[in-house]
Amino acid sequence: MRKNPWIYYGKKLLIFVVSIFLLSVIVFYIARLAPGDPLVSYYGERAEKMTAGERAWAEEKLGLHESITVQYGKWLGRAVRGDFGISYKYKMDVLEVIEGRVGNTLLLGGVGFVLIFVLALLLGIWCAWNEERLIDRAICKIGTVTSCIPEFWLSLVLILIFAVELKVLPSSGAYTIGKENDLGDRILHLILPMTVVVLGHLWYYAYLIRNKLLEEVRTDYVLLAKSKGVTGKSVMFRHCVRNIIPTYLSIMAISVPHILGGTYIIETVFSYPGIGTLSYESARYQDYNLLMVICLLSGALVILCNMIAQTINERIDPRMKGPDLTEDAEVIMR
Amino acid sequence: MKQKKPIISSVLLGLIILGCIGCRFIMTKDPTYMDLANYSHAPNGEFLFGTDTMGRDIFSMIWYGGRISLSIGFLATAISTAIAIVFGAVSGYAPRWLDEILMRLTEIFLSVPELLIIILLQAVIGKATIWSLAFVIGITSWTGIAKIVRTEVIQLKNSEYVLAARSMGGSFFYILIRHLTPNFISSIMFMVVMNVRGAIVAESTLSFMGLGLPLEVVSWGSMLSLADQALLNGAWWIILIPGAFLVTTLMCVTNLGNYLRIRNNQGVRNL
Repeated sequence: MRKNPWIYYGKKLLIFVVSIFLLSVIVFYIARLAPGDPLVSYYGERAEKMTAGERAWAEEKLGLHESITVQYGKWLGRAVRGDFGISYKYKMDVLEVIEGRVGNTLLLGGVGFVLIFVLALLLGIWCAWNEERLIDRAICKIGTVTSCIPEFWLSLVLILIFAVELKVLPSSGAYTIGKENDLGDRILHLILPMTVVVLGHLWYYAYLIRNKLLEEVRTDYVLLAKSKGVTGKSVMFRHCVRNIIPTYLSIMAISVPHILGGTYIIETVFSYPGIGTLSYESARYQDYNLLMVICLLSGALVILCNMIAQTINERIDPRMKGPDLTEDAEVIMR
Repeated sequence: MKQKKPIISSVLLGLIILGCIGCRFIMTKDPTYMDLANYSHAPNGEFLFGTDTMGRDIFSMIWYGGRISLSIGFLATAISTAIAIVFGAVSGYAPRWLDEILMRLTEIFLSVPELLIIILLQAVIGKATIWSLAFVIGITSWTGIAKIVRTEVIQLKNSEYVLAARSMGGSFFYILIRHLTPNFISSIMFMVVMNVRGAIVAESTLSFMGLGLPLEVVSWGSMLSLADQALLNGAWWIILIPGAFLVTTLMCVTNLGNYLRIRNNQGVRNL
């Protein structure tokens, strides 16, 4: 059954817009219902010494005196025109604050993601090729151990070894102050956080590839290919690996937010100036406008990646429709 | 392939759990007492695993704090599993349109970064306690199990025995508990065990970041929240020893979970 692509993508767009809208409502309400004083994030210590009159004036200036629903209406009205307000803490346009940080996170998460993607594929194939041999069993054991180590603790151990004891790598930040444009310095600062990002996720995906391949080599077409005289290597790479790539792609699409979410914690441990540290600050110190945009951005990313995965899955197997299809991947995810 | 029983993991995990339950028989010091004369001591005869930057005995803290970390792991899992079973079953049982809406809502829920939900909920609840932290972790980690329950229920709901129970007037919860749950419990067992692992990791990560249990409430996570100061004066034992216990526990739990998963799949696989 062929569907009109306009209707197909139109429906997806509609779902996307509705989801983002609901997300914004939820985050807006939770953030404002949570106790805490947004004035502290704007005025710092001074906010605590304000008189009632000054407070009222400050709240009116920031538009915090109205009911939440009215505030949301005004926020939405400005947001659709691209004005997301100012960050209370940084006193700058929210988008500018994020613009300054997003590059760092994309560098850490993006390069990390590509490394995980490639290394997991290679490692998985290598293990499946040497199934149940010593090397495979050793890698499986080591892999299980690494996948059990919480990311924050791995970061601590690496800092302890390489920054405190050996003093070869910096323990925090994205660059040495005064060397903002020094590429070598930036890379040096990236090594430890990047190692944690990659090690934290690598085995999970490598194991997935390994198991998918093991299922694949037991199918009948492999037997047929072998009996026709195709070499083992050729069957593996030209048929088996090719067959699992689409599934792998859809799973990796779902994993994008998962891996980026993982960098949040790592960023905090390494005091790495990215979106992670920013979202942590904004949620803790009631920087409402900043919090909204970060939530919407990451929410949009999740929904978008899910849709990409869904589309890939539908292409592989048109029988998969509706909300069921990401299931297989999510089952393995956790 | 025959799956070996995870004997070593079970024994190790059993020892850790027993040690934590019976911590008062093992502890050599009061785990909450701050001995300011003996802070940041390396492991020695008196303080087996050394002392932390506030002068507390790490050996005693590990057993005492493990009790809290493990209870949060189990409590949070109980909460998330209960939510998952009810939500998944309702979604699987409900008519198609309601199912669709529920699944969309789950997706939106999933798209809010978990860390953010936890920070916000924690702020609403106020000061973190064992219960509040378990609750917060529990209600943010049910979606994975719920999806499996839903799929299973969709397959099960049209079987004859469910129909029979329904036509005899069995209510939704009666059918869920008597007929559906026994049928899907084995397929979610692996996820449930993995949820315990996830909850223990979440507790330690949150407490480490200062979002979970406060420093006075001893847990593996809150012990590690002293890591910043420990890094400054190179006190490796404050970081490595509690972490080693944490990782060992997580590994044992993982091995148990994997055993359950493979055993459950044995009939299906062609290995």
